[in-house]
Order: sequence, then C-alpha cells, then structure tokens
Amino acid sequence: METDNPIEALEVPENTMIEMIKVSRTYVPDITALSDISLTVDTGEMFFLIGRSGAGKTTLLKLICNMEVPSNGLIEVAGYNINNLKGKRLAHLRQKIGVAYQDFKLLDDRTVAENVAIAMEVSYKNPQAIRQTVRDLLEQLQLTDKHNTITGELSRGEQQRVALARAVANSPRLILVDEPTGNLDANTTERVMNLLNRRNKSGATIVIATHDPTIYQKGNHRILELRDGQIHSLTRSNGS
Amino acid sequence: MNFWLAVFRQAGRNLRQTWASQLMTFLTVSLSVLIFAFFYLVYTNTIGASDRLSEDIRLIVYLEEEPGTAMQEQLLRKINNFDKTEEIRFISKADAYKRFAEQLGDDSDVLADMPKDFLPASIEVIPLKGLRGFNQIKLFSEYLTQLPGSEKVQYGQEWMERFYYFTQLLTIVVLLSGTLLILTATFMVAYTIRLTIMGRHDELELLKLVGATNSYIRTPFLLEGILQGFMGSIIGLTALYALFRWISIHFSGPGLLNLFHFTFLQPIIVISIVFISIGLCTLGSFTSIQKFLKI
Repeated sequence: METDNPIEALEVPENTMIEMIKVSRTYVPDITALSDISLTVDTGEMFFLIGRSGAGKTTLLKLICNMEVPSNGLIEVAGYNINNLKGKRLAHLRQKIGVAYQDFKLLDDRTVAENVAIAMEVSYKNPQAIRQTVRDLLEQLQLTDKHNTITGELSRGEQQRVALARAVANSPRLILVDEPTGNLDANTTERVMNLLNRRNKSGATIVIATHDPTIYQKGNHRILELRDGQIHSLTRSNGS
Repeated sequence: MNFWLAVFRQAGRNLRQTWASQLMTFLTVSLSVLIFAFFYLVYTNTIGASDRLSEDIRLIVYLEEEPGTAMQEQLLRKINNFDKTEEIRFISKADAYKRFAEQLGDDSDVLADMPKDFLPASIEVIPLKGLRGFNQIKLFSEYLTQLPGSEKVQYGQEWMERFYYFTQLLTIVVLLSGTLLILTATFMVAYTIRLTIMGRHDELELLKLVGATNSYIRTPFLLEGILQGFMGSIIGLTALYALFRWISIHFSGPGLLNLFHFTFLQPIIVISIVFISIGLCTLGSFTSIQKFLKI
C-alpha cells in the first residue's frame, strides 16, 4: 500500500517494513557489491545481516536508507519505493529511519549531547523533550558523564554508542545498525543490545549488520548471511 | 521547537563557527556600499549644482548695430520661433555703457574718456527652464548666431561644456562602479557561503541523512545573506553619512565647494540601497546553497 505521506506509511502497522526485489549494486568500473538480493523484513522484526568484511552488509543498509541508489531492482520501505522519493517527502521518511553508521558520522567539534539532539532538532521537537531524551539515552548507554564532552575526544567505543543513541533518539520506526558492538566490551555490548531490544519490543523494526555471533545467536531472529554480494543463507537463530 | 527557532539556532551556530570569513564578507559589503554610495552622492550633488547653475544661464547676442523698434519686434519673433523663452531683453549701447559703469563702481572714471556708444548693443535671452540641457543650449546658441545682425553669442560655452562632460563622466563612473561593486559583493557573499558549506560539508550531509528538509538546511544560509546585506549596507551608509557630515562642517562657508550645497541621499535612495544590498547578498547565498542541495 502506498500513501502520499511516507510518515503516515511508517505509522500505519504494515506487515512488511522492507521489501527488496532483485536488487543489485555495481560500482564503476565493474565491482559488484550486491547481486540479485531479494528479501522481506516484517514490521517489528529484529533482522540480522552477517557475513565477512566486503560481503555487502553495509551496502545493503545504505540502499535501505537511500544513501545509495541500486543499479537494478526495487526497494520498498513501508510500501514506499524509497528511490522515487525526493525533497520534503524523502526528508520526512528519513526522520523515521534511524541509522547508526559504521563510520559513526559524528560531528567531532560538537558535544555528545548536541550530536544526539541533531536527529530530533530536524523534526522540530520541543527543546525540553530533546534534553530529557538525550539524558535518558546517555544514561542507558553509560555516557552520562560525557554529556558535554566534545565527540572528537571520545574513544571509538564511546563514539559508537553516541552514534547508536542518535539513531534511536527520534523514536524511529526503522532502525538500521552497522556493527553496533565492534568496539565494545561484553558489558557495554549487553547494554546496547538491551536498548535495541527495548526499541524492538516497542514496535521498531531493526536491521543489524554484524560480525558478532554473541548478539545474533541469542533470541529467535532471522539471520541473512551474505557472501560476495549474494545471499548465501537465510536461517533462524534458536538461542535462548 | 518550531521551524524558525531551529533555523535561527542553526544560523547563530554558523555565524559563531565561521565568524572570520563572515567578518571579511561583511567588510567587503560595507566597503562596496560605501564606495558606490559615495560616487552616487557626488553624482546627485553635481547634478543638483548643475541644475542650480543652469537657472542663471542667459545667452547674450551681440549685435552689429542697434536695432530699431521694428527690427526689435522682428528679432523677438524670430527668437520665439525657435522656442518660447523666459525673457528677452534688448540692451542698447547706452544701457550697456551704463551697466558697465555701474559694475566698475568707484573705478568708473576710467570710462571718462571713452565714447558712450563704444559697447555693442545686445539681446539678453533667458531660455525656458525646460531648455537647460547642454545640447539644447548649444542648438539655441547656433540658431541665435544665424540671426540677421548677430555678431557673436556668448553663454559661457567653454565652462558649460566642461561641466557637461564632467557630469557625463561621473554618470559613467557611477554606473561602472555600481555594476562592479554589485558583482563583487554578490560573488564575495556567494564565495563565503560556499566556503562555509565546504567547511561544514559533513554536517550538512548528516543533516540530510537524519531527515532535515532542504528548507531547514537552506534557510540559515539565507538568513546569513540577509544579515550580511543589511549590516553591510547600514555600516557603509553610516560611514558615508559621517563623511558627508565631516565635509559639510569643514567645507561650509564661502568657497568653491559651497557652490554645491551638499545634500545627503534621499531617504528612498537609502532604503533602496539597503534592500538591493540585502537582495544581492541573499541571491549569493541562495545560488551557493542550491548547488549543494542539488548534489
């Protein structure tokens, strides 16, 4: 179902959040990052992408959030062909998709609080509500003492958590996370996953690209393994 | 948070982060406005002076012989055939002598040995106020030269010609300086905004990724352009007014400059300069940010 307003589309409970049909992505001159990917992610699902470095996980996430455009194929988010959206409609859709990038994309000369707040500011949220949400998120991710620290001065693990806090700050309906625990110890990894699980339980669809088996083997999730840009397997974890 | 609060915060942040280049642009705009407005002020005052001087213009037609009454009427008719005049006065040889003696005042005794008809008779023509352009006066003078019995026509042509060419030159200078300074200010603002965009490319890219609308990204830059145009023109015009006051105070009283009766720019011109400056600076900002948003 397509509506005129992509935000409405994301608010309406749909069975399918992400639909990809025969999606390929080729880089010039002749590098195939993804080839013939077809998959469906249901609304409210926590979905894992695994595979070795260079398998195409990050490219897949970039295609879902329209950071990159597929060379072939169709990508729909909440029933909406994301590659046909432009201007204000694309902006509104992106406000409802939280992304934690592998390279963090933090503003190194801004404080931690400012970096997290930026996702809510573009939605014109109330300043008081923004401050409260920032405090809550930093507390959940053990970053309370870093509230006013310039992000460039943080360790990589801390930067990773700030990027995650920004991704979930605006209560997005779809959260895309690239290697969320790569620089974290076991305790912090658990905190991060608890945060993502809470968001998932409150209805958000979550797609996580990871190398870390400890996070995708727990619970009952679908796991898509990519190899050389192609789907190698689609399995379901049955851990506790 | 509403849209305007968000963009004002963003604009404030931009200004804080790029204050050095903002200051340079602001100074360039001020200087451009000052130079242009200065030339324009000189131009308007020169035109004003030219208008005042032209009010005193009279053409004197020296005659070979003193015309009789019938001849006077004929000449009057011929002169009015060219165009209507403010006034035409016939000066007889005796009147010319008397006037000259009065002008000499205490030294009039130098004329004691001179015959009372040694000065030629003449016609004083005061053209209509509408007929004050240099070329029109020149044409009128040529017409009067061709009148029967006319020996010579005088109206201070050399001085008028120089003044005319000076005002023509000034017009070109005002137009050229205006065009060049407008281009300079617009490109400077566009360049500064482009530098700001390049310096904050990562942030603007991120804003797009987290869902900022083009208006959210664009408006702070437009506000910067408006601010630069407004502040730049206000400072430039204030500096010009200070200069104007200084000249008025130090060069008032008798002298050549007093001829000009300096007046400052009309309020409507001041307001127009401010608005044009704002418009150009905003245009500079708009073109730069549009290029980024299209990428």
